Amino acid sequence: MKILNKSKKTNDRDIKKLIKRKLLILDGATGTQLQKLGMPQGVCPEIWAMENPQFIQAVHKNYAASGADIVYTCTFGANQIKLEQYGEPDVYKVNKTLADLARKAVPENVLVAGDIGPTGKFVAPFGPLEFEEAVNIFKQQIKGLLAGGVDLFVIETMMDIQEARAALLAARELSDKFTIVTMTYENDARTLNGTDPVSALITLQSLGADAVGSNCSCGPKQMLEIIKAMKPYAKVPLVAKPNAGMPQLIDGQTVFSMQAKEFAGFAAKFSANGVSFLGGCCGTTPEHIQALKTRIIKNKIKPTACSRKSISAVSSARSHLLLDLGKSFSIVGECINPTGKKSLQEELRAGKMSLVRGLAKQQQAQAAKMLDVNAGVVGIDEKKTLSQMINLLSVNSELPLVIDSSTVEVIENALRLYPGRALINSISAEQHKLDKLLPIAAKYGAMFILLPLNDREVPEKFTRRKQIALEIFKQAQKYGFTKEDVVIDGLCMTISSHPGAGIETMKTIEWAAKVFKANSICGLSNISFGMPRRLRINSTFMAILRKKGMSMVISNPLHETEKYNKQAENVLLAKDKHAAKYIKYCQDIELKLKGLPPKLKTSESLSPEKKVANAILEGNKEEIKDLAKAAVAAGIKPEDLVRKIMIPAINQVGDLFDKKQFFLPQLIASAQTMKTGFEYLEPLLKKGQAETAKKNIIILATVKGDIHDIGKNIVALLLKNHGFSVIDLGKDVSSEKIIEQIKKHKNPIVGLSALMTTTMVNMKQVIDLAKEQGLDCRFILGGAVITRAYADSLGAAYAGDGVEAVRVAKSLSK
Amino acid sequence: MLAEKFEPIIVELPVRQIYSRLGYVNNKTWLSDKQQKQINDYIAQAEALIELKGLAMVLDIKQINQSKISFSNELMVKSNSLAKLLLNSSQALFMGATSGQAITQAISKNSENHGDMTQAVVFDAVASEMTDAALDWLVNYYNNTMRRQNKTLTKRRFSAGYGDFGIENQKLIFDVLNMKQLGVEITDSFLLVPEKSVTAIAGIGQIIA
Repeated sequence: MKILNKSKKTNDRDIKKLIKRKLLILDGATGTQLQKLGMPQGVCPEIWAMENPQFIQAVHKNYAASGADIVYTCTFGANQIKLEQYGEPDVYKVNKTLADLARKAVPENVLVAGDIGPTGKFVAPFGPLEFEEAVNIFKQQIKGLLAGGVDLFVIETMMDIQEARAALLAARELSDKFTIVTMTYENDARTLNGTDPVSALITLQSLGADAVGSNCSCGPKQMLEIIKAMKPYAKVPLVAKPNAGMPQLIDGQTVFSMQAKEFAGFAAKFSANGVSFLGGCCGTTPEHIQALKTRIIKNKIKPTACSRKSISAVSSARSHLLLDLGKSFSIVGECINPTGKKSLQEELRAGKMSLVRGLAKQQQAQAAKMLDVNAGVVGIDEKKTLSQMINLLSVNSELPLVIDSSTVEVIENALRLYPGRALINSISAEQHKLDKLLPIAAKYGAMFILLPLNDREVPEKFTRRKQIALEIFKQAQKYGFTKEDVVIDGLCMTISSHPGAGIETMKTIEWAAKVFKANSICGLSNISFGMPRRLRINSTFMAILRKKGMSMVISNPLHETEKYNKQAENVLLAKDKHAAKYIKYCQDIELKLKGLPPKLKTSESLSPEKKVANAILEGNKEEIKDLAKAAVAAGIKPEDLVRKIMIPAINQVGDLFDKKQFFLPQLIASAQTMKTGFEYLEPLLKKGQAETAKKNIIILATVKGDIHDIGKNIVALLLKNHGFSVIDLGKDVSSEKIIEQIKKHKNPIVGLSALMTTTMVNMKQVIDLAKEQGLDCRFILGGAVITRAYADSLGAAYAGDGVEAVRVAKSLSK
Repeated sequence: MLAEKFEPIIVELPVRQIYSRLGYVNNKTWLSDKQQKQINDYIAQAEALIELKGLAMVLDIKQINQSKISFSNELMVKSNSLAKLLLNSSQALFMGATSGQAITQAISKNSENHGDMTQAVVFDAVASEMTDAALDWLVNYYNNTMRRQNKTLTKRRFSAGYGDFGIENQKLIFDVLNMKQLGVEITDSFLLVPEKSVTAIAGIGQIIA
């Protein structure tokens, strides 16, 4: 009953009312205050506080007396994982006791927040802790805090958005108390796992956080930037609990140096940017909190209410996508769907995910802004497979996901695990979907594609689609959904069987965008099913729908788009009966194409030999052979092509590299092009010339003990380009094997490579052995740790990179 | 005591550092759109092959006597430069990270005679920078965790082979962390396999209230 009374006094509504009137002040650091009161280093603060209640109560009292409206219970680490490290199994007791101590320490008008910190383990898919296990760990803690009479919850110092979600869900599933979630950000304004403040805000506020913000990791100046980033997208009040500046090294000691007055000077700026809860974290003291209080009263600083009631946006763990109606257009990549894709089906059945990973990367590279994910195919456990896909994509892709399934349980499971705000594909007026999916979507704060069909019909006409859409939306409103939370599906049917399908989809999209004023989408490729040159129809249809206001499209971003096509437009507008003219038009194109010569990709104005030189400069390995062939066919002698065109071109590449106008990938691409061209021309060279071009022998090896050979391989490639005959012995080559090879050749050049100080000594061994045996050879040394001085000391030449190695080898071979 | 395992480690793709490692100089290196697209494609392919994971362990420093540092697990290291780094530290963080087998195999395959050497050098740069970023991630993680205990990590970290902290110390760190559990091996010459694996030590000191 006592808990109920407390709950009534300071329930959710009360806090929401309070923040309309005043900026609520949170407390400051607890750990350092306990240390000042005698808490030794290395102990568990929660257990020590329980055993020394007078000290933790003194800290709470001090903060309340300094002006804090809310004090945090000393339960930051009071979860099962952390308490077990100190041999304390009773999570409930620790939390209840510490909440009770806080409650009794402060006056009635000061609220007590049940403090929930991270477990220290990352939550799947970002770490070893399973999501449900994390939820249960936080539930244990929350039960104790509730029993201890807390007024609200604070989930704080979260580095992992998935762990924050687990804690928030635990709080939501046990209580309706006001819940604050604050994340901690690095210098680049992202959490350790890459979540930016806006993505965190979108995810957490949609999942039911009553206030969102940041604590720890930086001082007020840097935190203000984080708050500013969040403000335009916040539909909940914001929270800031910065450190007393950044730790600084002063006289060999690390300190938080920001004084109370300076700290308090940021209050007005925080308030102006939507902060309704302001306090201090590491390094702050009751003096900092008192200074805040004084500043707020003196300057009559009031909170600024957040302006948004809703937001059309989705998020992943590392990015977000704002779906601003009329301002943005987004492609949803449709490729991660096993329907009709045998290789993907086989991989998913085998429990593998490499194709999924590759498809995600490829679609992102081709401008997809979201990824549709579907695992619905016979013989695959859809729920399990979709979970695996979500886990994989959450780690490997930044793009927000569209959860695509026709099964309610699969969608629910996916939404629970997905570390962001997802878009559901889709919710129709089918009764079982409406009844079950709407509350699920509401619980997890997802957006959804509103599909205007029901159990009885897939309406062909726009008017009926509109009716059904409005029915669904009316139901959705009961769960708190707004127009910003839905995306209307234009319901795209195929024009080959429904000639008016294009027009009805256009009307649906136009209504959604301009009358209903919500985002709209359509699955583009359906429209052209069964038609020739489908990309032409798809591209034209997309252009028309964009003009009508469509904001998203589900399509294959890997397909090339084609230009707007008048014939395709006529089919889509039902002006071409049975698409007869379009089909004839496509047949004509086919006939024309059969008679055309292959496309010439290089500028026709250049001479054949200039094209060869350009190919080397541009690193055009794919075309060099054809270009060399064309040059020879034009009457240029192969030996002239090599000597007068290709070698000067590769020399020019070396010069550009020396001047840093080219960098390593360009140098290598040019060298590979040269090699490919030379391999083609070599059989055409006259016998004597071919031998002359390869008269100089160079032996290359990475010395014993060293396994790094990419640098040596680059040198080999460049030397081959310049006509050297390269004998590459590989890596980790014994001194004896190198000596053996030297003996086989007359006066060879020997290039030795080493990357480590431990292995460079083996270069000396090779050189000493060669000297002892009186072998006639010259050495070039190179590698990351090798210096000119070291090479000099061994009587060898030195090369700092591949281009220099060629220069040195040439000078040695003179 | 066992090392804490982190898998996966997620880092922002350090594109600027990758280009810089490959020798790109702003306002100097000329790159066509086609070449840039090709390099960016390679970077994306490399990223898809890299699976960053790491290990870390905090050890108490028992004593620093000139160049000799003794740790709580009876480990003893001799290095003037490391002793200097750890001078104000009461603990040290031992850490290791790897980018995994797949990327190393792809680099080897492409750097051989018939492979795509351009791809190999870009892959190599991506893997090197991302593995280094994984160590930054571990440092940041421990900084975040330890700040609540009023502790902070040294700004610098030391890897075996720096200054007088010889490469043979790689074996000590490898063993302390048991890096075999990441699928990493160490050669007789103290090189880590797969090649894109790293180890380091940083100090942990007190923040004065």
